[in-house]
Amino acid sequence: MEFHVDIGPQYEGEVIRKEDMQVEFGGPKAKAKFELVTLKNPDEIEHEKVEVIGPDIKDMPEGSSYPIAILINIAGEALEKDMEPVIERRMHMYANYIEGVYHMNQRNDVWIRLSKASFKKGLNSLKEVGDILIFLYTSELSAIEKISITLVTDEKKVQELLAEALKVYEARDERLKGLREEDVDLFYGCVLCQSFAPTHCCVITPERIANCGAINWFDGKAAYKLDPEGPIFGVEKGELLDPGRGEYSGCNQCVAERSLGEYNRVYLHSAFEHPHTSCGCFQAILFYIPEVDAFGIVHRDFVGPTLLGEAFSKMAGVTSGGRQVEGSCGLALELIRSPKFFQADGGLRRVVWMPKAIKERYKDVIPADLYDKIASEEDVKTVDQLPAFLEKVGHPWIKGEVELPI
Amino acid sequence: MTTTVVVAGKGGTGKTTISALLVHLLSQKGVVLAIDADPATNLNQALGVPVGETVGRIREEMSQSVQTGAFSPTLSKQEYLDGRIRAALDEYKGFDLLAIGRPEGPGCYCAANNMLRLSIDKLGQNYRYVVIDSEAGMEHISRQTTRDVDILLIVSDLTQRGIRTAAAMKSLVRELRTSVGKVCLVVNRSLNGLPPEIEETINKYNFELMATIRQDPNLAELEVKGLPTTQLPQDSPLRTGVTQLIDRVGL
Repeated sequence: MEFHVDIGPQYEGEVIRKEDMQVEFGGPKAKAKFELVTLKNPDEIEHEKVEVIGPDIKDMPEGSSYPIAILINIAGEALEKDMEPVIERRMHMYANYIEGVYHMNQRNDVWIRLSKASFKKGLNSLKEVGDILIFLYTSELSAIEKISITLVTDEKKVQELLAEALKVYEARDERLKGLREEDVDLFYGCVLCQSFAPTHCCVITPERIANCGAINWFDGKAAYKLDPEGPIFGVEKGELLDPGRGEYSGCNQCVAERSLGEYNRVYLHSAFEHPHTSCGCFQAILFYIPEVDAFGIVHRDFVGPTLLGEAFSKMAGVTSGGRQVEGSCGLALELIRSPKFFQADGGLRRVVWMPKAIKERYKDVIPADLYDKIASEEDVKTVDQLPAFLEKVGHPWIKGEVELPI
Repeated sequence: MTTTVVVAGKGGTGKTTISALLVHLLSQKGVVLAIDADPATNLNQALGVPVGETVGRIREEMSQSVQTGAFSPTLSKQEYLDGRIRAALDEYKGFDLLAIGRPEGPGCYCAANNMLRLSIDKLGQNYRYVVIDSEAGMEHISRQTTRDVDILLIVSDLTQRGIRTAAAMKSLVRELRTSVGKVCLVVNRSLNGLPPEIEETINKYNFELMATIRQDPNLAELEVKGLPTTQLPQDSPLRTGVTQLIDRVGL
């Protein structure tokens, strides 16, 4: 097939500045924009059909911005529903392969620019853009047996279609939020904090976000791919030695190497024996309260002393520095959402105290029957008030209702 | 090939003025990415363009969105930042402007800053020149937020303190082995050439003096009217000084 412009990976990373731009689709100025790949039955697809709805490039004034919807339907025996996001993400690469086309972002943030130079060369129709994408998709991904593309620039129509696409994205996110350690072979490690905590190495799994709260498993994956020699690297999880505590042979090996032999075991999901090390920048601390043999959580923004009489900053001094401190663990607040949140020790059902702000923020993940039984600073100000409160509300840990998985 | 120039120095020595002129003059030779790394964000004013989105605000928004659970788990934060930074770029004739904005609040920003640095480094590769107007002081050097610099221009005024600050920066760069190609000194606001005392200190610290720029009477007038530095007349000391500087450094 002959196209007006050249195609190839050499054009990836090419940036088109406003001065050199013929038109743009999506981006900050367009109200509605998205791209979506949908798996269909083969008989629903007219192979290699490209449809353009709304004004085309040649009808658009130079320098203008337009809404865009790119709908790609695919079919193929070897294709699965789960592959939709991956195939959709290929758009970024393929569109950037086109000389004079610049593609940024994904989903409903997509932003595409076409250069004046390529427009002058004859790339003046979205039909041709669609043809090029089909050419790239089919030549690079042999599993795609049938494909059709619809490009929409009519604002009203894009708005309409966007509402449906948002539902699809949300459903995909929900599925991915459910990703478990069991589903992957590779975890990620991060040693960004070693300048402050030389023996600290964060182990990041689908169920354990980094202590700082900034890097989840997907971020680890992206960072590692971008810069494999960088401070974020892959960790083969190896053999699962202790499912309850979350001990993996690969994580042990990684921690031994990265802590320069200081530690050689790590329990990802327990605060005891070999807890995860804490850097200096954790968002919160899980702390042991010996009086009731349970845990409290305090976050960095909490003002004043906790029920132990000390403020976050003081407690952080004990927790931090890249050490494994039993019963005192730095963590990201998002870890509260993890199904494996300190599971070996009883998880959320062993938490008896947390600031009201945190309780409210994570209300959707705290079991409804537990919510009022966790004391906040309003209920309990000092540790001697705690047992009476827990007795009164009937906290499940005090009542002996929590079974440990170990 | 990108050439990255960082303009540093003690506060009040004219870093922003010189940066703006560098951007303005270099943009006639190739496309420039101007980075305003001073939290006061004045570079836009010196260039005569409106203030835009800041990187600091983008970082805060991301962190908010992550904390409320609204951030998509499938979206890589690095890619998100790449996109948001591209969108925050203010594009003008011959140059794009990116403002860093306020430094972080409490909490840890190691990861976010590392991601931002990667995004900005990658962005810079698309330009012929990157000109960074840095904040006063040395934090940006000690934290290594400024890396892979081809030319570090340290600006001093006609004070011993200014030269000594410049010397401290130079030695810090060497200690940290930050990858800096060339470190040079610019003395701004000179009155009648260099007094021997200043010259002596410059020699003592082994500085390569790239330019001595005379106090520019035109600047005060522009500042009073709130007009951009780029409107300095063709023969004004600052404009000719920076033009000569560009020639001498070989930009």
